[in-house]
Amino acid sequence: MRRVSKLFAPLFIFALTILSTQAQTARKVNVDYKETTLKNGLRVITVEDHSAPVIAISVNYNVGSRDERKGRTGFAHLFEHMMFQGSENIGKSEQMVLVLNNGGTMNGTTNEDRTVYFEALPSNQLDLLLFLEADRMRSLAITKENLDNQRNAVQEERRRGLDNQPYGKSGEIQQELIYDNFAYKHSVIGSMEDLNAASVEDVAEFFKTYYAPNNAVLALVGDFDTKEALAKIAKSFESIPRQPDPPKVDMTEPDQTKERRATVDDMLARAPRVDLAYKAVAGNTPDFYALQVLSATLQGGQSSRLYQKLVKEKEVATNIGGFMDEKRGLGALYVSATLRPGATTDDVENVIYEEIERLKKEPIADWELQKAKNNTRRGIINGLQSSLSRAITLSQYAVYYNDPGLLNTRLDKVSAVTKEDVQRVANKYLRDTNRTVVITMPKAKARPTASASGQ
Amino acid sequence: MKALTMKKKKMALAANVALIASIAFGGSPVQAQGGATQAQSSKGAVIKGKAPVNKNVLKVKLPKAKEAKLPNGLSVILLENPKVPTFTAQMVILSGGLTDKPDFRGLASFTASLIREGTTKRSSKDIAEQIDSMGATLTSGSGLSNTTSTVTASGLVENLDQTFDIMADVIRNPNFPAAEVEKFKTRALAQLQVQRSSPQFLAQEQFSRAIYGDHPGALVAPPAESIKKLTSKDLADFHSANYRPNNAILAIVGDVTLKELMPKIEKAFGDWQKADVPETTIPAAPAQAGSRILLIDRPGSVQTVLQLGTLGIERTSPDYFSLLLADKILGGGPAARLFLNLREDKGYTYGAYSNFGGTKFRGTWVSSSEVRTDVTEGAMKEFMFELKRLRDETVSAEELESAKRAIIGSFALSLEQPQSLLQNVVTQKLYDLPADYWDTYPQKVAAVTSNDIKSIAQRYIDLDHLQVVAVGDASKARDVLTKYGKVEVYDADGKPIPPGDIKNK
Repeated sequence: MRRVSKLFAPLFIFALTILSTQAQTARKVNVDYKETTLKNGLRVITVEDHSAPVIAISVNYNVGSRDERKGRTGFAHLFEHMMFQGSENIGKSEQMVLVLNNGGTMNGTTNEDRTVYFEALPSNQLDLLLFLEADRMRSLAITKENLDNQRNAVQEERRRGLDNQPYGKSGEIQQELIYDNFAYKHSVIGSMEDLNAASVEDVAEFFKTYYAPNNAVLALVGDFDTKEALAKIAKSFESIPRQPDPPKVDMTEPDQTKERRATVDDMLARAPRVDLAYKAVAGNTPDFYALQVLSATLQGGQSSRLYQKLVKEKEVATNIGGFMDEKRGLGALYVSATLRPGATTDDVENVIYEEIERLKKEPIADWELQKAKNNTRRGIINGLQSSLSRAITLSQYAVYYNDPGLLNTRLDKVSAVTKEDVQRVANKYLRDTNRTVVITMPKAKARPTASASGQ
Repeated sequence: MKALTMKKKKMALAANVALIASIAFGGSPVQAQGGATQAQSSKGAVIKGKAPVNKNVLKVKLPKAKEAKLPNGLSVILLENPKVPTFTAQMVILSGGLTDKPDFRGLASFTASLIREGTTKRSSKDIAEQIDSMGATLTSGSGLSNTTSTVTASGLVENLDQTFDIMADVIRNPNFPAAEVEKFKTRALAQLQVQRSSPQFLAQEQFSRAIYGDHPGALVAPPAESIKKLTSKDLADFHSANYRPNNAILAIVGDVTLKELMPKIEKAFGDWQKADVPETTIPAAPAQAGSRILLIDRPGSVQTVLQLGTLGIERTSPDYFSLLLADKILGGGPAARLFLNLREDKGYTYGAYSNFGGTKFRGTWVSSSEVRTDVTEGAMKEFMFELKRLRDETVSAEELESAKRAIIGSFALSLEQPQSLLQNVVTQKLYDLPADYWDTYPQKVAAVTSNDIKSIAQRYIDLDHLQVVAVGDASKARDVLTKYGKVEVYDADGKPIPPGDIKNK
């Protein structure tokens, strides 16, 4: 779903909005990467780039919340936190301290389909960078005390992001409603109850099963000599023993046969909100790219059909938004609208359905197709500026699709989408019976200011 | 809730670690000088000191911005960035929320928002479609207590001409169509309501009020009265008076040379008429009243959002570098004291940070966190402990050197963030900082001593004027806060709640 869980929320996100395009003379995207696999199965991708004195690493493990079992929701992400609690040669939190206090940046993040750890540092810290990642892949230190500490931190992350925010629970409820297969039928952050149940034994077993070199992809990008760096990577990582391949997750999802619907009473919200989802297709498929184009037309930016209709013309919503979710398994097309006072959820739903019908009946305009393609190109170019974003993307495409080169070919795949494709996927996936609707209603305050009562 | 193990801290595992290198700048990679000191563990972190840290801090040469000026007074700054075929252009109008009249706060912000809702050449929809179809972005805005308004356009360099054309149009020819103004007002009034559901918004609102009183710095959202009375004429008047080339800086970063760029800028902005711009008087931040504790009751809350802070400094204050380091040590990220203590040691929170800011009037220095309701007391205790500790104890040489390395080392990474480099240049211009300000920044960071930190902490962590704001379940948090002084309780709409109306749980 939309929510990912991270080690911490970055304080400032540099406003890297290098964007855009109409590409008459557009430069072709080409990141020249090299790939090799160590004897223990660790896949290594490198990009040598001397344009800035920076090195960035991404270690992407092929494990996410989809690998969790019942009763342990939230575990993949809780485990991610444990990767910062020390290993044989690194103390608790020392990884964070060393990276940040040497001018670097770092974090870890978990979603349904993968868990990724990354750091960028000035380029004279290559040995440090490799040591930090290799030590925890080899020898995670697991203690009850640290697990309890991070369980608390993660539960606060959940409260901060979901339980203490308006609409916070709506997304989680929607995800549980959309999917039938347990793999995606729960949130990444997990339930409080399941987080409480996680034990040090669970941590040890998860580490052995999923944090093996043969279940990971390492990408190193930046200012280094490839030959020297590969030798160092082999020296640091190759002796970490391979493990049996982790169990494959069953991702089959039965067809949905009728609309699913829920209403959430939300004490923290002040305006009703409508959240729709249409269960669709896996990422990096022709239909997925067509749905991305469809989504840009329907709800991307102020020129989008829903913004113009709901916010500007009919003035029934104060804000709209949504996206085609990219997943290894079946992703969904999400649409959200926050209501203006006085409007009803029926008003808003009906306009959205009318616009969806239009997408089924009429081809989109030339400029709308152009917009979607240009947005994609802009996003890809945006990701080329920093070593860190290239490292993360290359490792992610390797884990997701076994194809790091998708960074270079993705634009072609979006460019191949036609207006007919958009109409076809609208008819194929945006069916009423394939829809999951969650309505959030502000709940009258239980404790009006005049009579604060204990309960 | 489980009992938190409050163990005595593990003692420092000593080792010769290169966390600590004396920092000197100039010359290529600088060799650490002096013996490396012992690594230090602290609350929440155990430093084993076995990882191979390079003691040198890379010397980084920042790219130089190029400058030009049009005859109509428009200043142009360009930072060339040939790495990717993109550009970002930011028009900085040197009038913002601080230019608003006291009875019409928000007008600068409304003007900036509405320039893209229609011009003499394009409708709101035309602008949106033309920008979006290029995959470009166009944003504009001004904060309620900002000295500037900004209009920012980004795109691929091959679209520079078209994007400049639209950007110049919204900057120079907005006509604020009455229908668009009315729609904007409806959205803005609804937004005022929606944002009150965010606990962080409520905390920020009360904290700013506590620090700034009647000063415009108090405002975090425009007054509803301003929105209600807004007309096209008000917007046109503000625009005409302030959106002038002699009152603006055009800052650009991208894959373009000054030679290629200037004819495009001439074309888009060359005949923009200059005019006398009314001077903005910036009121000084008010003298601080005594410490207050403000509790905002938000029924249904499962966390308490805490903000504790004081009045800080202006951007040009001589105390800037001492405060920069003091803040870095106190709460400037996950390696700082607040995070390591409240999260990594106590498990009270997902994160705890401090930050400071200052413009042409004094900003604030705030520590903040979100903690589950039943550890509000413990969190308050640790916040007070860390604030007092920075005042009372001298920061160790190791901790200070680590903070310096963090800041100076990060210059290498900033080379991959051209837009933040551009913002640095803009900051230097806006505050009339010396031309070599950013080149000598590392030396100024390196010059700060432990005694400077202590004296800065004693001056600015002024406990007699500390403002404390808590947003959460008042029935549970009030008694906890009462230990620190008289608690004033408000509801989420900002209205006071009489003490008898909150029953303790």
